[in-house]
Amino acid sequence: MNRLLAGRLFIALVLAAAGATAFGRGVYIHAKALVAQVLLERAFAETVATGQAVKPWPWADTWPDARIAVKRIGASAIALAGSSGQALAFGPGHLERTAEAGEVGVAVYAAHRDTHFRFLNDVAIGDEIDVTRHDGKTFRYRADGSAIVRFDQSGIDPLTSGHELVLTTCWPFDAMAHGPMRYVLHATMISPPPPEPLSPL
Amino acid sequence: MMVGYGLAAWPCLAAKYGLYQHQRWRALAALLAAAALLAAALAFAGSARAATLARPGDARSGSLLLKTEGEGYTDAARLGIDVDVTVSGPTLRARVTQVFRNTTNDWVEAIYVYPVPDGGAVDTLKMVIGDRVVVGDIKERQQARAIYEQAKQNGQKAALTEQERPNIFANSVANIGPGETVLVQIEYQEPVHQSGDQFSLRIPMVVGPRYNPAPLVQSVDLRAGDNGWGAAASDPVPDRDRISPPVLDPSDHAPVNPTTISIRLRAGFPLGEVKSPFHNVKIDSPDSATRVITLADGAVPAERDFELTWTAAAEKTPSVGVFHEHVAGSDYLLAYVTPPVVNDAEQKPLPREVIFVIDNSGSMGGTSIAQAKAGLLYALSRLQPNDRFNVIRFDDTMEALFPDVVAADRDHLARAEAFVTALDARGGTEMIPPMRTALTDHQANGNTLRQVVFLTDGCIGNEQQLFDTITSMRGRSRVFMVGIGSAPNTYLMTRAAELGRGTYTHIGSVEQVESRMRELFGKLENPAVTQLLVTFSDTNADMTPVVLPDLYRGESLVLAAKLGKPAGTMEIKGRIGDRPWSVKLPLANAAEGRGLSKLWARRKITDAEVAQTTRTLTADEANKAILALALEHQLVTRLTSLIAVDQTPSRPAGEPLKVSELPINLPAGWDFEKVFGERAKINPGAAPVIERRAQERDGRIQIAMRAAPPAASAGDQPTPGVVLPATATDAEWNMILGALLMTFALIVLATRRRRMFG
Repeated sequence: MNRLLAGRLFIALVLAAAGATAFGRGVYIHAKALVAQVLLERAFAETVATGQAVKPWPWADTWPDARIAVKRIGASAIALAGSSGQALAFGPGHLERTAEAGEVGVAVYAAHRDTHFRFLNDVAIGDEIDVTRHDGKTFRYRADGSAIVRFDQSGIDPLTSGHELVLTTCWPFDAMAHGPMRYVLHATMISPPPPEPLSPL
Repeated sequence: MMVGYGLAAWPCLAAKYGLYQHQRWRALAALLAAAALLAAALAFAGSARAATLARPGDARSGSLLLKTEGEGYTDAARLGIDVDVTVSGPTLRARVTQVFRNTTNDWVEAIYVYPVPDGGAVDTLKMVIGDRVVVGDIKERQQARAIYEQAKQNGQKAALTEQERPNIFANSVANIGPGETVLVQIEYQEPVHQSGDQFSLRIPMVVGPRYNPAPLVQSVDLRAGDNGWGAAASDPVPDRDRISPPVLDPSDHAPVNPTTISIRLRAGFPLGEVKSPFHNVKIDSPDSATRVITLADGAVPAERDFELTWTAAAEKTPSVGVFHEHVAGSDYLLAYVTPPVVNDAEQKPLPREVIFVIDNSGSMGGTSIAQAKAGLLYALSRLQPNDRFNVIRFDDTMEALFPDVVAADRDHLARAEAFVTALDARGGTEMIPPMRTALTDHQANGNTLRQVVFLTDGCIGNEQQLFDTITSMRGRSRVFMVGIGSAPNTYLMTRAAELGRGTYTHIGSVEQVESRMRELFGKLENPAVTQLLVTFSDTNADMTPVVLPDLYRGESLVLAAKLGKPAGTMEIKGRIGDRPWSVKLPLANAAEGRGLSKLWARRKITDAEVAQTTRTLTADEANKAILALALEHQLVTRLTSLIAVDQTPSRPAGEPLKVSELPINLPAGWDFEKVFGERAKINPGAAPVIERRAQERDGRIQIAMRAAPPAASAGDQPTPGVVLPATATDAEWNMILGALLMTFALIVLATRRRRMFG
């Protein structure tokens, strides 16, 4: 009988350990996302103030690029330059080789659907999205379209001649597993960008 | 959560059903497995069932498509068109009335894509509902569209006129009730066209289906920059959906869009012969200087452009015309000057290099290819032995007869004639590679004349790419466009000729081939008036076109200018061949003209677009200039639209609105199979929508559409756009799994303890 008891205890412990690990991992991801954003807020404020790219923590290999805010639902996130898996754990990433916010072209920001871009589910067409660049300038975009596309057939034209913004995350929002589909929210600038400084001839 | 509770209750349930301990565990394991599978299945529930829909842009046999409820394409609206033109001296004013009749029991939004002459300035929109007239306002394009969408949602009747190309416009009319008729009137202003001693006007009737090349994959190492040096868009036709209305197959459907035309012609001088080359007309003469022209057949289907030509009765056609108009404190001038024809008998024609490029794409099938071949054969027969030439044919493939220009001797000409005679119309229209090849000059420093003669109907959607090619590669060549068929793309032709410093000739029927080609050769073989310079005694004169063209034999210079007051003189200087030429015009006696301010503004807008193509202005500067002119003079441009909204809502809340994209006829003489059969094979077109999923949120409907991957076909490039990274974490999954496992652990502990006490 003791052996049976011990066996059951053992099973229970194993299950508990596995459960705790799994649960802990899940919590860790969320915690990392939250804490990183706090540090990033500070780093971003400093970046805007000093004009230098400030690392959010000493061993970071990326730096804050922009703040994306949707006033209506009170959502805000600091986006990082670069969109590697590492960077995405801490905040939305700005896809390399797409335009910066406020420039001609389309600025693409991607983030996890269950952490930083969870609020995309609540963004409706017509909502205004403010993007503040690392130099302090803010640009206002209005959401005007959404689409669900495959990750390798996004149809986003990086060389468009307008001033556009795309926020993207995985689709569907409530799925558990990874998939190839992405939710793409498209927005167009509604306030004119500041005049470009003349470059010397 | 529920699974967790269920599992917690499991021991009680198991006891109730009398399962033994080992049986319990096995049953529990089985239940867990089932639950896990279910969870996995739910996780993948995101994959959707598909409901296949097709886009009107892929119209094949003209079948009109029904969309799902909420927004539907239906054959609901019928259209009738009336065109009323008044020609007063150098300008004409046209009023186009489109009658939208809703023959169904649904509320309908009708969309009609139609052509406008490419020099036309559209400035007025009126919507007539019963006995009410709503006048439209000019608004910035996005703003006008937003107002229209809002009115559409509110159930108000609204009409929106937008420019897709300088010669393609789209009217959208919202909330036409069951059985109702709404009239939409637009008005435009255009200068009369003069060529030699013949004056003409053209009323385009149908937009020929455009070939829109598939987007190409481009590497994205460039940052989209400023200062006009950004790279060209990777989609040659980003707005292809806006210029592709559904086309009816003439073998399945009777022609639609009946059109009536009436023209009141008051040329300002006694009229000689007045003709309409493509339609039967009835001409009345109230007096010697006025004619009233109507269609002899009443209404004709909108499938072939209407042209009217007239000459002066007097022996000498007026070679100079100066008109002015005073508007809002400024004076606007319109001047027509035809340089004298210099007949230099002793001068031998200069040796030339002529490269002929002929379009044999599917859209040329039917009568157009016959006209083009006849024109080209005539041209070959006119070549002199000391000329050099080459012939290039293109569709979506390209073939040059000789690797470089060769002498026009009997042997080469015979080969060229055989080549041209054997041509057959098929395939798409990739115009850029043959233009590049034709403009590639192996003797860039030569001093012979180099002329490229391009025979095509011009029905492409990527006009801007062609303009960029001509601008960057022209060198010393001159580009002469020959527009073929019943509905050529005149915007492409005139702008390409302007950028290529050549001319545009139109051939609309086989009967016209010889006379028009002879006229063209008169232009090619005789010296042009070059180095034109215009100076006004009023130094503040704002003249357009800024870049003056070279004038070929018989062509006139048409200038518009904005002056302080109509006084002083205008002097024009140039060279005809190697002889200097000048003429001085006094402006004080200019006759009254009408609509000149709008024509001036319209031509200034063209100047801004040409300057953008030649990189003299950045895109932003050009846009600013165009917007300012458009708003000041109330013109529809690519940045401004006309919007008219009826204040009283008419559609009751809750009634769905169906969209009706009105079909157009295939241009007369075209071959439907050759155009759409071939094009569908080469160019599957925009990705069809295969899923629509609506989520209602706070009363707002948000539609998320999934675009299907474009159908793969041999030789077709995929259109990826930016690759999106994986953006889902395991967090949720892990947390739920963790919670489950810990619950099991608790259960295990709980049952063990209970056993101890049980």
